[in-house]
Amino acid sequence: MKQNLIAEQRVMEEVKKAIAEGIDIDPGRIKPESSLMKDLGAESLDFLDINYRLEQTFGIKMARRTVIDHIEELFGEESAIDSDGKLTGKAVDVLAMRYDGYGDKIHAGMDMDELPVLVTVSSLAEGVESLLDTLPEKCSCGAQEWKLEDETRIVCGACSEPASFTSGDELIEEWLKQVQEDKKIF
Amino acid sequence: MHILQGIDMVQVSKLEKMLLASPGLASEIFTEKEREYCFAMARPYVHLAGRFAAKEACLKALGLGLSGEGIDSALQDIEVVAGISGKPDLLVKGRVEKAGGRRKVCQYTVSISHSGDFAVASVVLVAGENCE
Repeated sequence: MKQNLIAEQRVMEEVKKAIAEGIDIDPGRIKPESSLMKDLGAESLDFLDINYRLEQTFGIKMARRTVIDHIEELFGEESAIDSDGKLTGKAVDVLAMRYDGYGDKIHAGMDMDELPVLVTVSSLAEGVESLLDTLPEKCSCGAQEWKLEDETRIVCGACSEPASFTSGDELIEEWLKQVQEDKKIF
Repeated sequence: MHILQGIDMVQVSKLEKMLLASPGLASEIFTEKEREYCFAMARPYVHLAGRFAAKEACLKALGLGLSGEGIDSALQDIEVVAGISGKPDLLVKGRVEKAGGRRKVCQYTVSISHSGDFAVASVVLVAGENCE
């Protein structure tokens, strides 16, 4: 269910904080549209650090596998990456939907290592919000009351157990199945 | 037959600071054997940095790179093992092995070096229809 305990603005503030601390840059430089790699100078190590900080902050589990990996698992080998290791046209169609507004920067024949440049502060914040929005109706104890602890952690109002969100990998899989049902890409 | 190459450099103090602040991250990046080996050394973070550089270099050679979203488990699919002489070797599994198979990689080689606050790794992959 769409959670309303942590406001979008709060998520964005925490994402900016994780980026500023992870890359060790002035938070004033961080804009929603900034590409972490191109504009803020993030390296691969920084991406891991930032994502891990966000997991710890919100009690969520980010994806361990890429959208490309999930496409291949769901729709078969070479559905996303061709025999030369390049992105297929169908994978491009899916990624253009995922990175809304960046469709013109993704094209068939690209290497996968060209994709991280598309990750922006906004796309990271949206990813966190989509995970938080998988807050279940009820806690495993049966209570239907959630509360906020330490400003970013959602816990059960009755038993104080941390909320159990859908993982990033499960969410990508659900999204891909929905895309396939709607668009019949594969 | 052709070769694929990747190189990466890691600042040791940056990795150390990151892992000390987030200790759980070490088990997301490094395999159990890698952690056991490195934390038994006098300067564990130098060896962990070298291993991270090797994993990144391998992903680059395969044209994969790291995903910017989430914590890419491909890092766990690459293990740097030290032979008796100390010379490192790469063991690959899962998605990385599959990506290598797709590119017809038949040999993985790695070289790691450290100096001051930096560790660098170079990975060379031999690939082709008839290579062994």
